[in-house]
Amino acid sequence: MVPPTFLRTIEDSGFSTWLRESESPFAFYFVLLFHTFGLALLVGANTVVDLRILGVAREIPLAPLKRLFRIMWLGFGINALTGVLLIIAYPTKALTNPVFYMKLTLIGFAVWIITLLKDRVFNDPKLNEKAMMARGATLAKWSIFLWIGAITAGRLLAYTYKYLTYPC
Amino acid sequence: MNLAHLHLLLNHFPIIGTIVALGLFIVSFIGKNDDLKRSSLIIFAAIALLTLPAFFSGIGAQRAVRKDPLVSTAVIDRHEGAAMLALFFMLITGALALIELWKRRRIVTEKPWSGNLLAILLFSLITAGLMARVGTTGGDIRHPEIWSVKDVTQETGLSALVHIFEPTPSKFTDLMLVSKYWWAFMMDLHFIGLALLIGTVGILNLRVLGFEKRLTGASLHRLMPWAMAGFGINVLTGTLAFIGMPSYYAFDAAFWLKMLAVLLLGLNAAVFYLTDAFESVERLGPGQEAPRLAKVVAGSSLFLWFAVITLGRYIQSYADTIR
Repeated sequence: MVPPTFLRTIEDSGFSTWLRESESPFAFYFVLLFHTFGLALLVGANTVVDLRILGVAREIPLAPLKRLFRIMWLGFGINALTGVLLIIAYPTKALTNPVFYMKLTLIGFAVWIITLLKDRVFNDPKLNEKAMMARGATLAKWSIFLWIGAITAGRLLAYTYKYLTYPC
Repeated sequence: MNLAHLHLLLNHFPIIGTIVALGLFIVSFIGKNDDLKRSSLIIFAAIALLTLPAFFSGIGAQRAVRKDPLVSTAVIDRHEGAAMLALFFMLITGALALIELWKRRRIVTEKPWSGNLLAILLFSLITAGLMARVGTTGGDIRHPEIWSVKDVTQETGLSALVHIFEPTPSKFTDLMLVSKYWWAFMMDLHFIGLALLIGTVGILNLRVLGFEKRLTGASLHRLMPWAMAGFGINVLTGTLAFIGMPSYYAFDAAFWLKMLAVLLLGLNAAVFYLTDAFESVERLGPGQEAPRLAKVVAGSSLFLWFAVITLGRYIQSYADTIR
């Protein structure tokens, strides 16, 4: 099966070619770097919240951790943007690989969990710490599981693609 | 200075450092001196960190002597295999020392004996012995005049016994490259370790710098074992990746700058725990502002960890930048 031609159109554009082929350290690797920064902010901050809900470092008061959601959204924003740029650089490589859709699905669920954690656990003023932990426990476990899955799928993208660029 | 110089400079630290730390550690039991015990544990951890660049620079020294007709590949391989085994024992000793230091961060007097202390004694004794062997086999490479037998690779007695447990460098390398999925798995763990480390260290650093002052310093400091777990995962997966593609990493400028940043982070941690910065963070209550020293340490930590990520990301594009 031949990949759809719009992939080639994107790949032939000047911007895509520059991202992919430029020798400048501010081209592809720069985008990849910020994708990693975003991962660190998003998953790092979320992991701290998950671990605390699951009973790690109970001395940390739970309610103030709400501020960490801003860091998560910052990381998510960076990665949505850099993710689009990475697709522009290698559209055929990403979009013809089933693992890519798995990664997006896992991220979708993980981000949904973030909104649930915020709405149900942190935005409910009636809950005391014990109730917050009880209500968040399952969500926190899923969150960790989904992020490990998303990172794994992301890593596999470098090793499982069928085409690096559009086949001529 | 080239990598061979660096190797000759750094390779003394693991050998001498382990012996010095082991000596202090033993004396601390005889003299019932807890401060001395802490000092020896700090040296174990520091030496474990310094052993990494000593190991990584070996490949540069190998390239420097490779063409010399008086140098035999078999003798170099024996040294490298010995170094691999010693490195893993050193890393375990360092990790156990960090665990013990964590337990002792508050309590002044601990029990005189514990399983962990016994494990440190055992592993550091083995490490000291293995390091001595790494030194001896390394010396043999360039100094045939000290050889006691005609062929030093033909070993007897204890040396032959230890040699059984030493990996063959080329086989270890091949094992790391056996499947792209094994490689992907190691890299995957390296990224998971990264997220765990940055998340836990990052929140403590941010609080010290003034972010979300309702959080207390002492409570966030409880996350440090998780940060150390992330660091441990990454030291292990990073070392295995290096063994898989030694000349890819060893001649890469970004890789060496990353190692420098990791060593500076070790120094930064030492400044934090050995000055009153640590106490000031432990006492940092809700709404309070951290003192300047603690802020400098927290800022350096954040900066250096992001530098480590940055340099790691650029390893791929800086391969072969060192001759």
